[in-house]
Amino acid sequence: MSIGSWLEERTGWRSNVGAALDTKIAGGPSFAHVFGAVLGSILVIQAVTGILLAMSYSPSVSAAWASVAYIEDQVALGWFIRGMHLYGSSAMVIVAGLYLLQSAVWGGYKKPRELVWILQVVILGVLMLFPLTGHGLPWDQQGYWATKVELGITASAPGGAYIVQLAQGGNDMGNLTLTRLYAIHALLLPALVLILWLVRRALIRHHGLTPKWNAPDTAVGYFPDQAFRDAIAIALAVAALIAYTVYQGGAPLAAPADSTVPFDARPEWFIRPLFQLRKYAGPLEHLAALGAPVVVGGFLIGLPFVDRSPDRSPRRRPLVMAALALGGVVVLALVGLSFRDDANDEDLAKRVAWSEKRAAQARSLALANGVPPTGGTAVFSTAPHWQARVIWQKACASCHEGDDRKGPLITVGYGSRAWIRGFLTDPSGDAYFGRTKLAKTDKAMKAVEQTGAELDALVEMVYAQSGAKDVDAKKVEIGVGLFDSVCSDCHEREAGKDSDPGPNLFGMGSLAHRASLIANPAAPTMYGAHNEMPAFAADTTESDRAAIATWLAWMQTATARDVEALGEP
Amino acid sequence: MGGAAPRGEAPRFQRSLVGKESPLADDSASNGASRRRFLKLATCALGGGVGAAVAIPAIRYAITPIGEKTVSAADDPIDALPLEQVKPGAPPLQVTLVAPVQRDGWAAVKNVPLGAAWIRRDTGGTLTALSAVCPHLGCAVGFDGKQYVCPCHDSTFALDGAVQAGPSKRGLDPLPFEVVEGRLRIAWVRYRLGGPDREKA
Ligand code: FES
Repeated sequence: MSIGSWLEERTGWRSNVGAALDTKIAGGPSFAHVFGAVLGSILVIQAVTGILLAMSYSPSVSAAWASVAYIEDQVALGWFIRGMHLYGSSAMVIVAGLYLLQSAVWGGYKKPRELVWILQVVILGVLMLFPLTGHGLPWDQQGYWATKVELGITASAPGGAYIVQLAQGGNDMGNLTLTRLYAIHALLLPALVLILWLVRRALIRHHGLTPKWNAPDTAVGYFPDQAFRDAIAIALAVAALIAYTVYQGGAPLAAPADSTVPFDARPEWFIRPLFQLRKYAGPLEHLAALGAPVVVGGFLIGLPFVDRSPDRSPRRRPLVMAALALGGVVVLALVGLSFRDDANDEDLAKRVAWSEKRAAQARSLALANGVPPTGGTAVFSTAPHWQARVIWQKACASCHEGDDRKGPLITVGYGSRAWIRGFLTDPSGDAYFGRTKLAKTDKAMKAVEQTGAELDALVEMVYAQSGAKDVDAKKVEIGVGLFDSVCSDCHEREAGKDSDPGPNLFGMGSLAHRASLIANPAAPTMYGAHNEMPAFAADTTESDRAAIATWLAWMQTATARDVEALGEP
Repeated sequence: MGGAAPRGEAPRFQRSLVGKESPLADDSASNGASRRRFLKLATCALGGGVGAAVAIPAIRYAITPIGEKTVSAADDPIDALPLEQVKPGAPPLQVTLVAPVQRDGWAAVKNVPLGAAWIRRDTGGTLTALSAVCPHLGCAVGFDGKQYVCPCHDSTFALDGAVQAGPSKRGLDPLPFEVVEGRLRIAWVRYRLGGPDREKA
């Protein structure tokens, strides 16, 4: 006995499958009947990709962004699976919408199928909740702000405050928001859809699918004619979904959520009509955002009870057709206008470009260094020289960068041979001490008069103070000789010796020297009485100063491009 | 649900959707069987194609962790303690080896304890560093004053790590170490459990 017959005896699968395949389709096979199958197959894809994503996703404020970035950049084909899941959710809404539209045009809501219709409206609504609960999960800027706005709108509805507290798990968005969104998105909604789908299937078993109003009075078995059409439609839909996902390079992931960094959040495309409507509604924006869905939902659910004639021909139901057409045109127009407004907004484009750059920076840092357990935004702190650059911006930049600076310019190349040469030949130049008070007094350092090989030797001698390995010992020796004859009136070069009026050159440019200069530039070995720079011993830690010294050393050989690549601290 | 209609009467709108040459359109009795077979094959082929297009990337994604170092710290020796604290002939000292940074999936966590080592210098001054992971099944090995004892299945090990009694098939695993500027640095290594041979896990 074959396994098949053995199973047949015990399960009856053959006859069951056979009966299912032979389900009669009223009106005969048609491409018009494929929507249910296409929707079903997309739901399966959503389930498969969703389960895969759940295997690498962590719903907590500190790990969500990092885990999604991990999926995108470190799990094989993670970008593809996540892209399929995101765009699949749109496909799901589109197909369910078309299916509903078809029912409406065909009069599928008419007696005795009113409940089938209402179920279908409810299913579409529930399907829309998937993207709405899903886009917050990555806890990136887009998801965070979009969720924030949606919760804000919900809060303005009657009783909305309670719904918001339930949805976000308390008084503000945080860990409990994510776990709740996740549970709703991945457990509650799928269960709900499954139940609604099963109920709807039972009803359809009872009534049969709605045939076209003018379909011939035949009924043909599902397999193979309708199955073949379904298969073609599914294949086309899935191919389109894959092509779109690949074309888009997967789903976008913005920078980690940060409540202090503004972001131009945009809702899902199918919420765009409301988004746009609010712009026109002025002070009534909340009413528009909440009222419009109620009106549309009410119209759809009420339809079977308003249009009660048994006639299903669209031509003889001009009012319903006109209402549907008007609704469709308004919705599409609002979507179009919303995208057009965005496309025409140059400032928006700039902000988007800035946000995208930040997102890319966060992603590459996460890939290279991992994300600190404190959370997504901490990924920026793993950037090279981050600590130093943050302090620099706060404490140093105003005097050493830009046009209003009061001290010497400190930028790429600072401390290099070229910089030293420039300094020695023009110490009171604008990029050097030119802006200090000292430069305007007769205590200002005089330009070195040596040229050619002698100047080279002096430059090398000063450069060697940093402890650099790539020095020319010969030149240094000559430089030391020159120093003793032309510089030693003002400068010392022995460790620890007080030096006046100019600083002691010993160790100048080394990490230790720079760190101690930042701590106390007025030390007698440094600028002493001529110092104009504030001391930072109290405001910075030793590790801060070491970090800045290391960063300055990096700047010495860096190019403007390298600095640009570090991004903003 | 409408009554079953006899096969072969294709509804009229069907013909407008598919060309005359298509097997879909040809529904004469003589060709009915081959037409059915074609539709069956084509349906299965399309279904299989869609299934593969989704399943192959899905499987590739799902098997990513195989052979992947998702949890890892640098293999560099980890600073343990100043060598002078390990007195020759004194009882072994237990130290926890803390990785400066451990990559764990998406996270980079600082100061993660990786494991413990028993360190001892014999009277001749020779240093040994033994992993505190029992080579039997991985419990944490303690020291009872005379020998190392595993609490799980009572394997005991001599001061040099050799098995004395119990189910363990090999002695305690030595860890590579170095002394830099007077400080003992130990590399954390995990070995495969159970067997008599010492292989890196
Ligand atoms: S684990 Fe140590 S004896 Fe079994």
